[in-house]
Amino acid sequence: MRPGAEERDDAALLRSVARGDEEALAALYDRHAAWLTVRLTRRCAMPDVVDHAVQDTFLALWREAGTYRGGGDVAAFIWGIGVRRLIDAIRRENGGRRRSPWRAAEPEVVVSAEDQVLVGIEHGRLGQALAGLSPELRGAIEATVLDGLTCAEAAVLLGVAEGTVKSRCHRARVALRSALAEQQAGPETPAHRRQAWGTT
Amino acid sequence: MTSPFPDAAGRVTEAAWHADADLLASYATGTADPVVVWSVEAHLAGCAQCRSALSAHADAERLARNRSVLLVRVAVPGGGRMRRLLCRCGVPDHLLRLLAATPSLRRSWLLSVLGVVAVVTGEAAAVRYGWIRADRTGRLAGYPDPEVLAPFLLAAPLLVLAGVAAAFLPSFDPAFRLAVAAPFSGFTLLLVRSVSALAAALIPVVGAAFVVPGPGWLPAALLLPSLTVCAFALAAATVLEPRAAAVTAGALWALPALLLAAAHLPLAIVQPNAQFACAAVLCAAAAVLLARHDRFEWGGMR
Amino acid sequence: MTLNVSTAAVGVNGLSRRYGATQALDRVDLTLERGITGLLGPNGAGKTTLLSILATVNEPDTGRVSVFGLDPRQAAERVEIRRRLGYLPQELGYHRHFTVAGFLDYVAILKEITDRRRRAEEVARVLAAVGLEGRARTRIRALSGGMRQRLGIAQALLGEPELLILDEPTAGLDPEQRLRFRELLSGLPGDPVIVLSTHQADDLAAICPQVVVLLQGQVRFTGTPAELAATAAGRVWAADERDGRAHLSWRGGDNRWRHIGDHPPGGAELVAPTVEDGYLLLSQAAGAR
Repeated sequence: MRPGAEERDDAALLRSVARGDEEALAALYDRHAAWLTVRLTRRCAMPDVVDHAVQDTFLALWREAGTYRGGGDVAAFIWGIGVRRLIDAIRRENGGRRRSPWRAAEPEVVVSAEDQVLVGIEHGRLGQALAGLSPELRGAIEATVLDGLTCAEAAVLLGVAEGTVKSRCHRARVALRSALAEQQAGPETPAHRRQAWGTT
Repeated sequence: MTSPFPDAAGRVTEAAWHADADLLASYATGTADPVVVWSVEAHLAGCAQCRSALSAHADAERLARNRSVLLVRVAVPGGGRMRRLLCRCGVPDHLLRLLAATPSLRRSWLLSVLGVVAVVTGEAAAVRYGWIRADRTGRLAGYPDPEVLAPFLLAAPLLVLAGVAAAFLPSFDPAFRLAVAAPFSGFTLLLVRSVSALAAALIPVVGAAFVVPGPGWLPAALLLPSLTVCAFALAAATVLEPRAAAVTAGALWALPALLLAAAHLPLAIVQPNAQFACAAVLCAAAAVLLARHDRFEWGGMR
Repeated sequence: MTLNVSTAAVGVNGLSRRYGATQALDRVDLTLERGITGLLGPNGAGKTTLLSILATVNEPDTGRVSVFGLDPRQAAERVEIRRRLGYLPQELGYHRHFTVAGFLDYVAILKEITDRRRRAEEVARVLAAVGLEGRARTRIRALSGGMRQRLGIAQALLGEPELLILDEPTAGLDPEQRLRFRELLSGLPGDPVIVLSTHQADDLAAICPQVVVLLQGQVRFTGTPAELAATAAGRVWAADERDGRAHLSWRGGDNRWRHIGDHPPGGAELVAPTVEDGYLLLSQAAGAR
């Protein structure tokens, strides 16, 4: 199946869900619940909390499928909901009140150009650069870049203070920049690389 | 063991690289290296083929369990705006769900109440505004045409009583025996339903009182009698059979209203003297209800 | 009137209940242990009254009831009994506009499951147990009779009750569904006390290790189905012709006449009695009094 065809099916399913088609929701679940569960489990070790987050995610999809504007991956849309439901579930577990009940579409976190490049560099170079980071730095940059969370949300997920997240992200970016700049080769022209990372 | 990072340098499109089964398996079970995890997740975000391949390594039983719970949560009505508003005000969600079983909160019931109110109000308004000619006999302290209010004054508290009766009469609850055999307090259930039915019925009735051509204090004056009649019915239900209790309460209002209307003094039923009487009956009814509420914990209806 | 019933079981002692001129229950003594007990009797024999008293929905005129050592006449103990109870009344009515899941959610709230998620899990569990998983969103008015009956059984299972009271649970179920019902009952968690009523003897023989026959408000028999069948031993015959002197006779599926009586007609052969034969003989005897 071509990735393009899959995405159209997903979007069509979401439109059906918005119209109240429960079987479309079940189909979306069958397609996406597995990777969502695994990915959330990598963020939170408590299986009950993850189960609740997965259920809440698809419930939120059921109630607000209409907020999907059609731009971008359905999978990314689902992840955006899922990770925030996980944070809500963690907050509840820790005893706090939910901030905003049942808002599926959170305000878009503006992703910097640098972060987009970071996510795009999947293999080889990024892997080696990441390997050089400590687990704490890696966790912070993963939460903010890969998961697309705000610093406040990342703080809940990682169980540290917000200031700690910010400083770790900063240190991680500095370390990654220098590690990536040291590596040779790659399709990016030196000019592109300079634009992305600035001068070392 | 193939390296998870193939030699292809730089940005790789989905067509060229997919996670193999070992990689997905180690990712699914949490044994993959954290750096590999980042790589796999970044890839999965854009590759549907690998996403479905991952399903094979996931915990099928757990997924199925969450699926059935999800479908149940979807099937249970989440409630409209009203319910969400009340939830935010701190009313426990499970109490609101109990109201779903109350017939007097359903749209069909409320529309019927609205219909009756409209008829009675319309009739009063029609007479007052001269659309229908009527004899004008007997004025009461300067208020025009008090007699046109007689049907409205008769009907208003009875409509509220009807709503509350539908909330507590067993014949209106098809699953009544289940409610009795369940640990949830029968009295709490009854109170929750009755209070909501009372509030729901008061809105159209009091609203109509503003429209009806009568004294300005009429809407406020209807509150106490409506409350009293309903409280009397509930208290009587601890002594009499529920249906008899509701009928008695209705008669307790209807008879004086009809007598006063026949004596050309319909408004007397909401005058201050009557209000004091209502207050006294209300206090007595509340006392009886509090003392004997455990009658509602049994099926009781012998 | 002492009631020597262990706290692991349910017992009634000297139970009587009268409705107007009818004596629905007449000095009934009974003990129910863990496992399945079948209550057999014709309509009007008092089964429903007895079950409703056990379910704390009704009060007896005289007599004592003990459920796991608790007395339903004490308010606090009554609530505790109801926490451990699952009840399917006869001819249960439904709010017809409810969905299946909505109705079960409602009953779950009545059973004091206040957490929304736990309720959803319980509802999913009982729906799977009775085979109605795909019907969560169906409105009750759109269900067939057999499905509604299964829904009734499902609501009784909510909360994993220790005492399960089922009044005519197999009414309206087809044979395959009855089989599933038997499997369901034998697989319930926690080994509860289960009492179910029926007026069909073959249901009982298949499901219940313990049988109680209730006739005209009195207990006429307590024991296993085999023992009930044995009460008719030596008095059941098969023949090619009907016999007017037999207590009961009818033509069976094998085109032979089956007689229950003391005097076999000529050419008749003795056959092994079934549970139904024992029951019919008992009701015949009761009717003759």
